Amino acid sequence: MIRRHFLGAASVMAIGLTLATSVAAQDDKLTIALVPGLTTDAFYITMNKGAQAAADALGVELVFQGAPDFNPVTQVPVLDAVIARAPDAILIAPTDTTQLIEPLRKAHDAGIPVITVDTFIGTGMYQTGAGDADFPLAYIASDNVLGGKMAARALAAAIGGTGKVYVSNVKPGISTTDQREAGFKAAMAEEFPNVVVLETQFNDNDANKAASQLQGVFARDADLKGVFGANLFSALGAANGVQQAGQTGTIKVVAFDAPGSIVDNIKTGLVDVAIAQHPAEIGYYGVVSAYAHLTGQSIPVSIGTGFTIMDATNIDDPEIAKYVYSE
Amino acid sequence: MSSDHVAPQADHADRAKTLLQRIADLRAWLFLAFLIFGFEVWSRLDFGGTFLFNPFNIQSIAVFAVAPLLLATGQTFVIISGGIDLSMGFIMGLAAVVAAHVINWATPGMGFGWAVIFGTLVAVGVSAIPGWVNGMLVAFLKVPPFIGTLGMFGVARGVAFLMAGGTTVPVKNEVFAALGNGRIYGVPYIVIVSAVFVLVMHYLLSQTRFGQHNYAIGANMQAARRAGINIKWHLLRLYILSGMCAGLAGVLYAARFSAGAAQAGEPLLLDSVAAVVIGGASLFGGSGTILGTVAGALVIAVIQYGLVFINVAPFWQFISVGVVIIISVLIDQAQRRFSGGRQSE
Repeated sequence: MIRRHFLGAASVMAIGLTLATSVAAQDDKLTIALVPGLTTDAFYITMNKGAQAAADALGVELVFQGAPDFNPVTQVPVLDAVIARAPDAILIAPTDTTQLIEPLRKAHDAGIPVITVDTFIGTGMYQTGAGDADFPLAYIASDNVLGGKMAARALAAAIGGTGKVYVSNVKPGISTTDQREAGFKAAMAEEFPNVVVLETQFNDNDANKAASQLQGVFARDADLKGVFGANLFSALGAANGVQQAGQTGTIKVVAFDAPGSIVDNIKTGLVDVAIAQHPAEIGYYGVVSAYAHLTGQSIPVSIGTGFTIMDATNIDDPEIAKYVYSE
Repeated sequence: MSSDHVAPQADHADRAKTLLQRIADLRAWLFLAFLIFGFEVWSRLDFGGTFLFNPFNIQSIAVFAVAPLLLATGQTFVIISGGIDLSMGFIMGLAAVVAAHVINWATPGMGFGWAVIFGTLVAVGVSAIPGWVNGMLVAFLKVPPFIGTLGMFGVARGVAFLMAGGTTVPVKNEVFAALGNGRIYGVPYIVIVSAVFVLVMHYLLSQTRFGQHNYAIGANMQAARRAGINIKWHLLRLYILSGMCAGLAGVLYAARFSAGAAQAGEPLLLDSVAAVVIGGASLFGGSGTILGTVAGALVIAVIQYGLVFINVAPFWQFISVGVVIIISVLIDQAQRRFSGGRQSE
């Protein structure tokens, strides 16, 4: 009953559409669509679980639809199909800061509120009246620059604040991994003057290549002390390169993200530290924010979710282990 | 040519070869020698180190080359027959995921060792299924290989991700991890396994009827048919073989990283095609050798490893692999023009 009342009070622009859609009209449930950056990644699958938990608690229908790879060319058609179904709100991890602006404006023009999760369009500063990408209502994500800084601090602590390190990264042009690298380098430059950051190695998300690059860097700089793997395959590959080089424990490995295989590597000592984001939290607050907006509440324009640092000393603690990405 | 039995390696018949032909046949190995020499000189001039005489470098390059080489070995057979197998990358991922699941499932009941053997057999066996479908599509339903295997690329990818639950599947088995990362007298096990496998494939291609038929079909399918070769049956077995090569690559990947990842082979597909082309095979079919492909895979591995070793900015890697491919194909074209060889398509 209450929900029906709220639905009536939902944003004036959305009301005609909401009544027109059969889905919403049939069972009076709000429908929220979640479009991930890609569907084949533990990070977004965990985000979906958090979103589903919020949807269940609020009695909202959640639709999870995305493309199999992180690419605007494949994401935009999925988004168009989602807009055609006229959900009450769209949560999306846009795969490009500029290429997704116009496709998302179509949703906005159709009266569907847009909230971006994990990644952003434009500058990520919304509702400011500046620029052409300020129409999303909120940006909910972990601060990847901060995450990179935390990785730098963890790695510096592991190597005793001095020595050579480098960043193993996917490829340039991905907002989140670029920010992690930038945060890592900034923190090293400001806080750890005795740490030398070598040239970044890009591996195209190929663990085999990341491993070989670690060995190549080590063959040249035998005093290499540590490596920061900016995503799963970068870290997995770098850890294997360290193992192949017989330097496990000597060259420290810090991994960004915490799916099950990284956690196993922490237990076997191949990875020293993992910086876990809280994707479930992002999904949960995404749905809650959309619901709050649809039911007439005001919502914050930006929500930053936190990180958890995992290492061998705390990985068995259930309070820490709950942040491992689900499979 | 049409009536007598098809000569083995039609392209490498014993008629006197010109100097240019000999160089062209060996071009991948010459490239490799040239590259290694170049990196050696650079290392000595730049920081007084050695590139070639550092066993660690050789080891690292060998391990790096394993996965692309296994894919390229299967791809060599397919390309010589005039086809291409685009599905190998995701068949590799599928096999990695299957191996991870089966070994995890079997380890409590069978113990570490038997679970690895069982899991390997199941994974390689499963990878024969998409290979069989590819073969049926190409041989019996006359679907062009590029399209048929592209479809299977999508199917294998989807199935692999479904089985993995969209993420990587950790493997918990000490023997499997030792297979992936252990070594004997400094030679990694996966390098030994791959070397033996590649030698067997070399024998299969160069010394057996299956191999001869493969060249014949790629050089001229009509002639091969008139010579009495059962082309459908041959192509079916051919695509099963390439699926299983990808399957072995997937198993070794899972062993090395203790994880089955559906996207394991995705970045490797184009490297594998590049290795075959640098190795001297023609995408029009009829020519190519396994040993050439070995050199091609090593060329790519040496470039990518060497540029990291001498500390060159990363984007030069793309450029240099691209340049080597282009030069390689140019030499191939020049050889055909000068030798007046088969260029009919």
